[in-house]
Amino acid sequence: MIGYYISLAMRSLRGTPILSALMIAAIAVGVGASMTVLTLNYMMSQNALEHKDSVLYAVQLDSWDPNQAADTANEIPWQLTYPDAIALLRSDIPTRQVAMHRFGFTVNIDESELRPFTANTRVTTRDFFSLFDVPFEYGGTWNKEADTAAVQSVVLSKETNDKLFGGENSVGKIVKLNGEPFTVIGVLKHWNPSPKIYDLNNNPFADSEELYIPFGLHRKFEIYSWGNTNGWTSRTAEGAEGYERFLLGEHVWIQYWVELDNAEQREAYEQFLTGHIHQQKEQGRFERPLKFALSPPSEWLVLNEVLENDNRVLGWASLAFLLVCVINAVALLLAKFLRKAPEAGVRRALGASRNAIFTQHLIESSCIGVLGGLFGIILALAGLTGIRVLAMGQADQIAAMNWEMMLAAVGLAILASILAGLYPAWRISRTNPSVYLKTQ
Amino acid sequence: MLKMQNIRKSYRTDTIETHALRDFSLEVNEGEFVSVTGPSGSGKTTFLNIAGLLETPTGGQYLLDGQEVGNLSDSERSRLRNEKIGFIFQGFNLIPDLNLFDNIDVPLRYRGFNAKERRRRIEKSLEQVGLSARAKHLPAQLSGGQQQRVAIARALAGEPRFLLADEPTGNLDSLMARQVMELLEFINEWGTTIVMVTHDPELARRAQRNIQIVDGQVSDLRQTIAQPEAAIA
Repeated sequence: MIGYYISLAMRSLRGTPILSALMIAAIAVGVGASMTVLTLNYMMSQNALEHKDSVLYAVQLDSWDPNQAADTANEIPWQLTYPDAIALLRSDIPTRQVAMHRFGFTVNIDESELRPFTANTRVTTRDFFSLFDVPFEYGGTWNKEADTAAVQSVVLSKETNDKLFGGENSVGKIVKLNGEPFTVIGVLKHWNPSPKIYDLNNNPFADSEELYIPFGLHRKFEIYSWGNTNGWTSRTAEGAEGYERFLLGEHVWIQYWVELDNAEQREAYEQFLTGHIHQQKEQGRFERPLKFALSPPSEWLVLNEVLENDNRVLGWASLAFLLVCVINAVALLLAKFLRKAPEAGVRRALGASRNAIFTQHLIESSCIGVLGGLFGIILALAGLTGIRVLAMGQADQIAAMNWEMMLAAVGLAILASILAGLYPAWRISRTNPSVYLKTQ
Repeated sequence: MLKMQNIRKSYRTDTIETHALRDFSLEVNEGEFVSVTGPSGSGKTTFLNIAGLLETPTGGQYLLDGQEVGNLSDSERSRLRNEKIGFIFQGFNLIPDLNLFDNIDVPLRYRGFNAKERRRRIEKSLEQVGLSARAKHLPAQLSGGQQQRVAIARALAGEPRFLLADEPTGNLDSLMARQVMELLEFINEWGTTIVMVTHDPELARRAQRNIQIVDGQVSDLRQTIAQPEAAIA
């Protein structure tokens, strides 16, 4: 009977094209608007490291100003100072650990017509790739020594390798970074998580870096941070000058992650962090009450308010708008169905039960929902395209609809149209057929 | 076939209660052709709606084919209506945007027949009313008499044992009315029980029995002996 009801629905829609178009438009506009916002919120809420939620932790240490707490959700700086990062790297408790930050190099290769270009670079320890499940196309990461010694190795993203070497295996080739030769030791497969959970401090929806170089190169190249850097005093770097003063001062710019596979390991690491803070306190640092945090990826996303309250409010507002559209659709459906009440009366006389009439009309409203959903997807895609254009490339990752969201759009449209159709379908199924049989 | 005992039906508004049927008792036997007459507002259509399970009585007992139908659910009543009862209305009540084939298909769909069986029945019933060639026409493309014949074909397609006709010739000229009446008599000869509400005393006389309803009650149970040919003449 479902097929029969669908054919009746399509016939009915064709029979009242203007009214049908208005209802489809009402659903489509509501779904288009809400799916535009919900898609943004959904994409912002993605957690590519959900499967590591029980073992992966972002590390925060409260080394901040004793007179004023850090301006973060948990009042602990998001990032670490360089001396703390170096100290933490000496621990052998975590299975893996990563100290890293954002930087940039001018890139070129000898005997190439390619013009030099600036590449976003991640300065990191070797575990970055395994910790964040970064896939390699060619080669691999550097040796452990490169985390502390100046080894001029580089890992290229797929896009950079395509640009520099046409996508071929470039392991062993030389790339010039700021004019200095670096040996390519690895090439990644396409990898571009959004939000960029490992670095939420520098636009969580930006593309992943184009180059990856070892953490041990700081002093040789005087690598500052291209990312968010905050400091409150250089007192601890007294006597030091220039770059060394930056490294040793109370500037937080290093992001730190650890992998702790079980509760014992986590407890041991917490004791290690407590010991480190006590040790630093003895040296006049960490003047605030002892405080640190180990946050798994899901918590880290919430703490960093990747999905801001404004987005949530906008999400609810878009659903409220959809509700308004649904209410409009209810009125239109009611008008349409009641106009067809005589036909329902005839069908009742010919053996249709109330449930059959109800189902027939609910399926008709669902068909309107499917069509509204399809048009809604087109409107949502147009809305997201508009957002991408307005954001000038900053929202390319999140203002995009995947298949899941397209299915969700159709589902939302069907749900909306079923809700819109419930009352009209119920009304028509409850009308007394004999009234219409005599008067038709 | 049909047995009503002390059937009551009243309609209530905020201020008035109207009694459409009062202690209405009637028995129609298998294979009978019964006409129902009475003045406007006497309760003829209410009786027909209750007999056709479109309305439920306020009180009394109604046995259809020996089955008490008062306590049946809507689904059970609908199934019974679909399987045992055929309707013919004064206004034909064809669905205007369905062609003849699809109009006749409607009750068969609710019956759950497969496509092959539905096609067989539709073609057969169209043939019986002489409209096989017009299967793909819309109702609006037919004359009133032809539309009523389609309505009869639709009622017959489910092979009901009980046919209810509410002034089936009311919208037809005399020639068409005669054709439709002859068709109903033909159907009755096959064994289908027919109850026909009519205002036309001549048509009423052509039935085997006439019932007169006045003020919601059966006032006269008269046996009609006249032959159809004699009545028309």
